[in-house]
Amino acid sequence: MGRIFVLIEHRKGAIRDITWEMLIKGRELALRSGGELTALLLGYQIRNLAEKLVQRADEVLVVEDEKLSNFNGEIYQRVLSKLISEYKPALTLIGHTSFGMELAGQLELPITTDCIDLCLENGALKAVRQMYTGKVNAEISFIGAPSYIVTVRPDVFPAEGQQTGRGEIKYLSLPIEEIKYKKFIEYIEPAVGEVDITRADILVSVGQGIGDKKNISMIAELSELMGGVLACSRPIVDKKWLPKERQVGLSGKTVKPKLYLAIGISGAFQHISQIKGGHIIAINKDPRAPIFGVADYGIVEDLFKIVPVLTSKLKEIKAG
Amino acid sequence: MDGEQSLTEKYELFGCIQCGRCSAGCPISLNSALNIRKLIREVTVHQVLEPIYEQGELWDCTTCSICSLRCPRGLKPHEVLISIRSILAEEGNVPATVRDALEETFKHGNPYGQIRSKRFEWATDLKIKNFSQGDRAEILYFVGCAPSYDPRLQEVSRALVKTFTQAEVNFGILGNEENCCGNEIRRMGEEGLFEMLRADNIKLFHNHEIRHIVTTSSHCYNTFKNEYKDDSFKAEHYTIFVAELIQKGKLSFSKEIKKVVTYQDPCFLGKQNGVYEEPRFILRSIPGITFVDFERCRERSLCCEGGGGRMWIDASDSGQRLGEVRIREAIALGAEIIATACPFCLLKLDDAITTIGLADKIQVRDIIELLAEAI
Repeated sequence: MGRIFVLIEHRKGAIRDITWEMLIKGRELALRSGGELTALLLGYQIRNLAEKLVQRADEVLVVEDEKLSNFNGEIYQRVLSKLISEYKPALTLIGHTSFGMELAGQLELPITTDCIDLCLENGALKAVRQMYTGKVNAEISFIGAPSYIVTVRPDVFPAEGQQTGRGEIKYLSLPIEEIKYKKFIEYIEPAVGEVDITRADILVSVGQGIGDKKNISMIAELSELMGGVLACSRPIVDKKWLPKERQVGLSGKTVKPKLYLAIGISGAFQHISQIKGGHIIAINKDPRAPIFGVADYGIVEDLFKIVPVLTSKLKEIKAG
Repeated sequence: MDGEQSLTEKYELFGCIQCGRCSAGCPISLNSALNIRKLIREVTVHQVLEPIYEQGELWDCTTCSICSLRCPRGLKPHEVLISIRSILAEEGNVPATVRDALEETFKHGNPYGQIRSKRFEWATDLKIKNFSQGDRAEILYFVGCAPSYDPRLQEVSRALVKTFTQAEVNFGILGNEENCCGNEIRRMGEEGLFEMLRADNIKLFHNHEIRHIVTTSSHCYNTFKNEYKDDSFKAEHYTIFVAELIQKGKLSFSKEIKKVVTYQDPCFLGKQNGVYEEPRFILRSIPGITFVDFERCRERSLCCEGGGGRMWIDASDSGQRLGEVRIREAIALGAEIIATACPFCLLKLDDAITTIGLADKIQVRDIIELLAEAI
């Protein structure tokens, strides 16, 4: 395999994690195949980013232009198509993000999307992607073509790795024409303090059993020690003890954590049906609570006895 | 979009005299900015309807239909609102929770995203005839999505099976072939998916030569009876069917339930289908029960906020939930049990009891659970 392109995803002056993840995977493929890893950086006033990237890639190609200040799928597509036809990479990696999804399909090259792994088998590229909402992993082999596009699912590969680049930055000047159909308007930031419980690996979720608003802080502390995110069931939102965005359930959010710690949650169907995947651990003093019907592990005990013990144990471990 | 003209024409909205009987009776107006009278006016006079469609409170309506029931001109304001939702659904402009529920229904035949092969699991130990296994029976017991999957509601389904068995009803269920009825789907605006479900279900009923359907849910009953437009089968809510069983002397009681019981009229049973007497008749037939009616009962009954897709949408304004109002009213009446005949009423009222912490004072039960306990 010859050259491997990684399209750098950055926003408001910061490189996004998916970039580092793709560079790690790209490096692995380049080493195996004796190819070369090239980072493509498109933007405006981004030279400081290029400096960071050279340590991870063999070469960084930088296209700088005011028109590239903010992501615009249409301009990116034109620039990227030009670079691909000029440098003829065997493979271009793009993040399977809102940014990448808008762009990748427009490049008119053989593509496989949302991949969770990539490998070489007898010199040929193979990709793995999920089907049937994650129930089946499909191995994808490619039709013979000089160049492929693969979009990579975020949070699958590690972002940290050896600094293996040989550090060459090349600034390209490309004529970039005006475009007609798309323009950047604004970034809409989530309100301060807003959290996305749908993306958390560990959710510590609290229900009616907590009894009083002042007890929530105890669960928040446990959640923080566990590196988790605080969530809740509907009664907690109804009482305005926690904001709506933390609610798991039919009228709240569907979550897919790796671990769901349910504290004082009885487990009404409207709540538990929206926990998809992962392990559920339940703490509830009522042995007949339906939450135990779906929990992988359960503790039948007063949460006010268990939570302080968990908290102090975690503090002990953290203190080393 | 020619939506403006077609809505006004389709629902004869120029007939509206803006009397305000609709909005005055609207239960949701107690905790939402939704004003159905104003909405009808806006739809009639505005050239551009998009700003109206942006109003988040359009999703607060429970489609209880009291507005249509009260309209002196015989208009159907709640159907206008459903039509607006369907315009929004066509544009993909629906709340995320609604989108997910619709997608799950398309994929798995139920809005909860539960696996189809587990639909029948609640009944595997019950030895029920199963049409999908080639069995034949006189009556199809149509269980419904929530009563198939929700552990709390499975108790209701089991109580109904116990009742049928005691009365020696020749009945069967569709097992894993059962599909969402589409009632809520249509009210969330997905007319296309509703039509697909309706076609699939009618085909299924025809294949199994089904002539008589009895449902757990007042929602399934409503759509089968009023929206399937197929007269090869008769659809009944279980309260109608069971009241008849009692009248014919097919059920005998062996136990008393010494409780003060009131009854929450489900909107889709009462307001939309005029079934008021049968549920009360069943409750009064159960020995020991002291029955008291709510002051606001029958067509004036206060909606629980569970219909019109509201199981998947929370009100834009989080004022006091009507379920909580209802629980307090029931306690003031001296009731120990609120009986109902709808899975969504049961869940919403149960939730309200948990939220206000009155579980030691009052319970919500389905009528059929009380009956099954007494036979």
